[in-house]
Formats: sequence, structure tokens, C-alpha cells
Amino acid sequence: MFAVFKKEIKSYLLSPIGYIFIGLFLIMFSTFFFLTIFQSQVLNFEYLFYNGATILTFITPVLTMRMFSEERKNGTEQLVMTSPRSITSVVLGKFLAAAVMILITEAFTLMYFFILKYFGEPSLTVALSTLFGFFLLSLAYISFGMFASSLTENQIIACVLTIGVFIVMWFLPGFNENLAMFSLIQMFDKFPTGVISISEIITFVSFAVLFILLTIVVLQRRKSVK
Amino acid sequence: MIEVKNVTKRYGKFYAVRNINFEIKEGEIVGFLGRNGAGKSTTMNMITGFIEPTEGEIIVDGIDIDRKPKKVKKLIGYMPEGVPLYYDLTVKEFINYMADLKLIKHKEKKAAVEKAIAETGLEKVQNKLTKNLSRGFKQRVSLAGAIVGNPKILILDEPTVGLDPKQVIEIRELIKSFRKNHTVILSSHILSEVSQICEKVIIIDKGEIVAIDTPENLEKDTEETQKIEVNVEDTNNKFLDIKTAINSIKDIKLLETKTDGSKVYEIETGAEVDIRKDIFSECTKLGIAVLELKKQESSLEDAFIKIVQDRPEYSEKEIAKMQYDKEIEELRQEEAEKKERKEFKKQAKKEEKARKKASKAEKKDLKSEKGGDK
Repeated sequence: MFAVFKKEIKSYLLSPIGYIFIGLFLIMFSTFFFLTIFQSQVLNFEYLFYNGATILTFITPVLTMRMFSEERKNGTEQLVMTSPRSITSVVLGKFLAAAVMILITEAFTLMYFFILKYFGEPSLTVALSTLFGFFLLSLAYISFGMFASSLTENQIIACVLTIGVFIVMWFLPGFNENLAMFSLIQMFDKFPTGVISISEIITFVSFAVLFILLTIVVLQRRKSVK
Repeated sequence: MIEVKNVTKRYGKFYAVRNINFEIKEGEIVGFLGRNGAGKSTTMNMITGFIEPTEGEIIVDGIDIDRKPKKVKKLIGYMPEGVPLYYDLTVKEFINYMADLKLIKHKEKKAAVEKAIAETGLEKVQNKLTKNLSRGFKQRVSLAGAIVGNPKILILDEPTVGLDPKQVIEIRELIKSFRKNHTVILSSHILSEVSQICEKVIIIDKGEIVAIDTPENLEKDTEETQKIEVNVEDTNNKFLDIKTAINSIKDIKLLETKTDGSKVYEIETGAEVDIRKDIFSECTKLGIAVLELKKQESSLEDAFIKIVQDRPEYSEKEIAKMQYDKEIEELRQEEAEKKERKEFKKQAKKEEKARKKASKAEKKDLKSEKGGDK
């Protein structure tokens, strides 16, 4: 797992992908920061992450769409799948590498916290609970993005599928209130209020585990049908 | 080293590979020959564990790949078709990653990577990004990735495709050098390449194995006639008379008349006779000067074309019938096995009964003996 993780991190940081992801996120986040602070006159670090979750919905595929699609298209999938490494370790290696990219991005967002701290007194515990919730949401998003990438060799299809499903899940509560349990963004909304809810944590983690398992199943199954 | 037993790969109704069987011994260099889509890559992919066969088993070094894929994969170095590489990595990083994927121990990794780089002549480009290399070097990098960690078996899918002639020769020499330490399987369209490198050839056509032999034997076996090309100075046009003098000549054709007036004839005879001496002596008798005389060697190419052309084209109906016959045969075998098992059980029961009876009788006898003693 560590070999794949190391190689993936290298690929993110040696190619523009990692920088595009972090850059895009921070540019959009800064825009929202500016709008919130100067136009809405609200001095609140955690509220920024409501917008952060929206940004994440659209830019997660930058990290995930290439995960398996690119390997399949270039044929490097054969190198990985004919090696003694298990499919599980390959999938986990890739997943963790993307998770680390999210952590790096989150670390950058702390600068807004310190800017706000200079002018006011933002709550550190609420900020940490928000960052924790945001990380869990990211794990859920990455797992689905990775699953979409394992389905096709076309990165664009993987990207559109990922964003499409995220948007549908986002607006599900609009159709029926009972469907709110499938809206990840709505579940995340509790964390910026300083509430760390076990049910939300379990939902995010099980969502991530489910799609990691489904990715493994898809790759395993491709051995017999490809 | 590698045993492929009754292996079939089916996609719906389409058979990519149908019931193939072969064995490869340790240290052999074996070539897979076949037209595009014949099933070469499918077979190789199944041996490497990249895809699973629909039926049959593949045993590598005594291990069934279906049961212990990890162990088998450790024994194999694979160079896939089309030279897939990670273009954002340097040559050394790529080979390092391959070593990591192959579970090479940390202590041995550095030496293994350096050895692979040295064996494939990549020292000068080891810090270059793989995307900036020429096709020949990319091929070498892919080969280095396959040989890192010194696996017992090397599987090379079209290793020389897309290279210029000089690069082809270099890669061929490299593959030949692997002969000492590895069992090598390679696939190719280039028949001359296979006949130069390989000790054994497996010809696959439409998913079935049609021939397994050495290149020399394949060439000989498919040779039905022998052709001799003679360039003679025959001013009196007497050359055709030698046909009556030498009985084994089947046909003589005039190929061309050269600018100096000499003529080139092609003489066809049976495969087993050599009439070169007779031609020479008859020509001397007839006063014909022989300028050149050479036997045309038949090539692996001729053998391949002959073997593949001779194969019948199966229609959909015929394939369906073959499948039906196979299934019926399997059912019959199953029935026979069931019957056998039943009979065996019956027999066992009978024997058990008989044994019980015998033991009872023994006990009775013992009792009666004891009673008698009292």
C-alpha cells in the first residue's frame, strides 16, 4: 500500500494536478472569504466551509478522475495488476494519497483562521470540528470519485459522473425531506456549528468504506470479464 | 515451469482462446506466433494473472495461479504490449516503483534496480523523465521494469514492435542475453525474429494452438518441395534437356534472362532429394556453363502461412455443433462418473456388511468356544 501511496503523492506533486487542485480551492475559498468578510461583514471562520463544501463538490474530480481511468487508458494498469500487490492495497494507496492532498489543502485554510484571529476571536474548537467534518466529507467524496474512475477509461466521463452524482445528492432533500439522509452536504452542515455528531461520522465513514469496497469489486471483476 | 491445461477464455459466445494446452520448460525461450487477434496477448495475460481463464488451469512452477496468484506473480516479469510507462516519473523512479510493486525487500531494492538499469543499458538516461525518451529507450525501460528483481519467468508482449532496425537488433540481443537466467515467453508478428531468438514456437490461430515445435522442425515439416535456382550460360538452349536426364526433377521454369545473355531457371524437386551435384554434372555434359547454383531455403514464414492457411474456416453452425458435442460428451462423462460412484458405494456397503457379518460370526464362535470350555 505504501508503495502505491508514495508513487501517487509523487504524481500529484510532480505534475500540475496537485497544484491545480490546491490552487483552485484556495482561489475560490479566498473569493468567498473576501465576500463574507468585507461584504457580509461576518467574522466567522467555520461559515466559510459551507462554501468550501460547495467548492469541493466541483473540484474533487481533479484529484480522482485520473486514478484508475488514466492507468487503464495508458496500459499501466497491467503493470499494477500483474504485480504481487493486492488490489486492496492499490486502492487504499490511491485513496490515502488523495486524502493527504485534502489534508494539505485544509492546512492552507488555517491561514484564514489566523487572519481572523488577528482581528477577532474565532473559536478554535469549532474551527477544528469544522475541519474534521470537512475532512470526513472529503473522504466520502474521494471514495465516490475513485469508484467512478474505476468504471471507465475516459477521465471526462469519470469527472462528469462524479459531479453529477454529487449535485443530485445535494438537491435530494428538495424533492423529499426523507432523502436528506443521502445529502452529504446537508450532513456536513452540523460540523460548523461545533456539533460532532456520531451518526454523521458513521454515515461519512460508511459511505467512504462502501465505495472503496465497490472499487475493489469493480477491479476484481474486471479480471474475469475483461 | 509453465503448464497450461485446457484453458479457454470466452467473452459471451466469442472464444478468444479455446481449449489450449502446452508446457514450457525451465530456461526455454518460447515464441508465440499468430495473426492479430489470434489470442497471443490473451494467453499471455492469463499466464500473468491479469485476466482469468473461463475454464482450465495454469500452473507456474508447480503453483496454480488461481489458488495462489501472489506467489505466481512474484515469479513473473511482464512487459505489456505498447510499452506502458508512467510518464511523470524518471527512469530510475519508474524501475524503483516496479521493484516496490514486486515486493522486493528494501535492503535488496537498490542493488536490484541498479542491476536492471545496467543490464538494459539505461545508465545514461536513468534520471531523465520517461516521456522524453526515444521509443527504443522506452522499450528498454519497460524491459528493465520486467527484469527487476530477477524473476524466473519473463513474458514479453511484442517487445520489438515500433522500433527501427538498429533498435530491433539491440533489443533482440538483450533478450538473447536473458536466456541464461530466465525462462522467456515472447510474442511477435516478425517471424524471422522468432526463428532467430526462440528455441520453441507456438503458433496460435483463431484462439487455438495449431503447432508447437522448434522453428527448424516447423520449416522442415511444411516443406513439400525443394527449389533450386540456377544461373547458366546456355547458348544452345539445351538446359531443359536435363529434365529427362534427372528423374527427380518435377518442373523447370525460366525466371529471367539477364543482360549478359545468361538465364536463371528455377528447378523444383521433392523435398528429400538433393540434386545439386547431378545438375552440375549434367550441365557439364551438355556443355552448359553454370554461373550460380543455390538452394532456396524455406523460412518459418512459409511454414506459418502454410499451417495457418491449411486450417479450416469454421462457420457459426459448426462452432455451435462443436460446442454442443463437447457439452454432450461432458454430460456423458458426468453420468458415467455418477454411475461409477454409485457402484463404488454399493460395493463398499456390501463389503462393510460382509465384514460385520464375519465379525459377528467370529464373536459367536468365540462365545461358543468359551461356553464349551466352561
